[in-house]
Amino acid sequence: MHPIWKILGVSLIMYSLIAGMLVPLKPGISSVHPTSVHTGEYVQMLVEGYNSHYKEAESSMRAWLKIDSLHSFEPKLIQVRDDRHLTLSFQMPSYMPSDKKVHECALIIDNEVDGTSVLPSAVFITQKGKVPNRDGQPWKQDAIQNLHQKEGITFPFRNLLQETIRNTYYHVSLWFALLFLLVAANVHGIQYLRTSDLKHDIKSAAYTQVALLFGILGLVTGMMWAQHTWGAAWSNDPKQVGTAIALLIYAAYFVLRGSFDDEERRARISAPYSIFAFVAFLLLIYMYPRMVDSLHPGNGGNPAFGGEDLDNTMRMIFYPAIIGWILFGFWMANIAGRIGILRDSLLDMSDE
Amino acid sequence: MNLVKEILFLLQKEFLLEWKQKYALSGILLYVCATVFIIYLAALEMEAGVWNTLFWIIVVFASVNGVAKSFVQENSNRQLYYYQLVSPVAVIISKILYNTLLLWILSGLAYGMFSLFNPSPVEYGDKFFIAVLLGGMGFAITLTFVSAIASKASNGATLMAILGFPVLLPILIAVLKISRNALVLSMGSVAGSINMLIAIDLLLLALAIALFPYLWRE
Repeated sequence: MHPIWKILGVSLIMYSLIAGMLVPLKPGISSVHPTSVHTGEYVQMLVEGYNSHYKEAESSMRAWLKIDSLHSFEPKLIQVRDDRHLTLSFQMPSYMPSDKKVHECALIIDNEVDGTSVLPSAVFITQKGKVPNRDGQPWKQDAIQNLHQKEGITFPFRNLLQETIRNTYYHVSLWFALLFLLVAANVHGIQYLRTSDLKHDIKSAAYTQVALLFGILGLVTGMMWAQHTWGAAWSNDPKQVGTAIALLIYAAYFVLRGSFDDEERRARISAPYSIFAFVAFLLLIYMYPRMVDSLHPGNGGNPAFGGEDLDNTMRMIFYPAIIGWILFGFWMANIAGRIGILRDSLLDMSDE
Repeated sequence: MNLVKEILFLLQKEFLLEWKQKYALSGILLYVCATVFIIYLAALEMEAGVWNTLFWIIVVFASVNGVAKSFVQENSNRQLYYYQLVSPVAVIISKILYNTLLLWILSGLAYGMFSLFNPSPVEYGDKFFIAVLLGGMGFAITLTFVSAIASKASNGATLMAILGFPVLLPILIAVLKISRNALVLSMGSVAGSINMLIAIDLLLLALAIALFPYLWRE
């Protein structure tokens, strides 16, 4: 076969590795101190930026605390300490626009160089006293307007994910590739059952082998991600549990194959098991996480991946990475299958 | 019609065989009693959560042991004889039916024995009953298929465990969810889980029936 798809696979993976690792994150806000304030206070708020250029953009620096879509206010004074640190001096309003005891505010920082960055739920403002004294005055409002756009190619800055957002290209695309490999393994498994051609059985095992490798890699990359965002590598998430069980199922498949000396027998017994196991695997990966709460996006009430988590810049690397890993996986399985077929024919020759 | 006749005939044969070799059935019943007694000696006071866990551990292990013999107790010559007489679909359906019945009896015995020593915390008997029925059926389908595979290899007993336990887990997860609800360890409706469990059972049954003829040909 023409090798263009192999070249394509390798270059897509190289592209996703290089672009995925080198493109910087959009400037963002990593932390704010203090996070809890009261109405009427005069507060000096320390802000730590991420990938930001506050010194360079000092002249155009603006900031807001946003209470809701209608209410926001500006600081009295903005002092730039260095590229990553700001001091915002806020005179907190004497009362809040609604009677709620605690208001959750987002911090918005805007300048020419970095564009707009937002830290949701940055500050909690507690109202003093039971009934706010409004004196019939309208609430003083500083509208958020004339925001800047950051120029150049960046990945979105998400406060929980930070740099690990890049793992989307590796962890998630490995799972996509794994699913394709398992489908291919089962297509060959079914073809073996229909034709009794040993080549299909060897190919089916080869696809499963690569899928198992991708499964282990997917689990490890996921655990590294979980360590950073969920706080522990193993947090009893149903997808993690499901994956661990799925790996057991496929490890058992290879133990089963190993317990037969005769290739015909091995093929005839392991093909039905692999199809049975594939259905159990699908149940574990797709049904189980929907039955219990999961920390994964798109499960247990968590928002699915998309929107701000996966913008167009990320799609430009995410989709090629998926295609790249699928092609690369098929190439690996192809070689493993050819080795298997050659080994079997060598054994046959030495028998004769 | 022919298929139903074959199934009934094979079922009758299973019962006769079990009756002739009483040691197999009494062995597995004794296994359940001994396990329950060991647990009673080891744990004196039991909360509902622990009770639930231990009950299902007993049932799962007893099921694996009980079903493991389905294809090894008859030698390969006799299996060849059946192969010429009846269709493989009849064989697998009769084995599954027989094992389902066996596992229901086993779970019933396990429940009786277990609640004799450790008072049962089951609040909603109907839900628990459904969990046991559907769970027993799912275990029987999966383990019968796995034992058909494991019986072909020389290291059958080991294979039975390592092939059986992981594929049992999707069923076990759904069963545990319903069972926890029956013991008021969790709240909310379990109608979704029950439907899911029925769907899993039917899916695995269809797969076992479709794939068994290929194994049988061996």
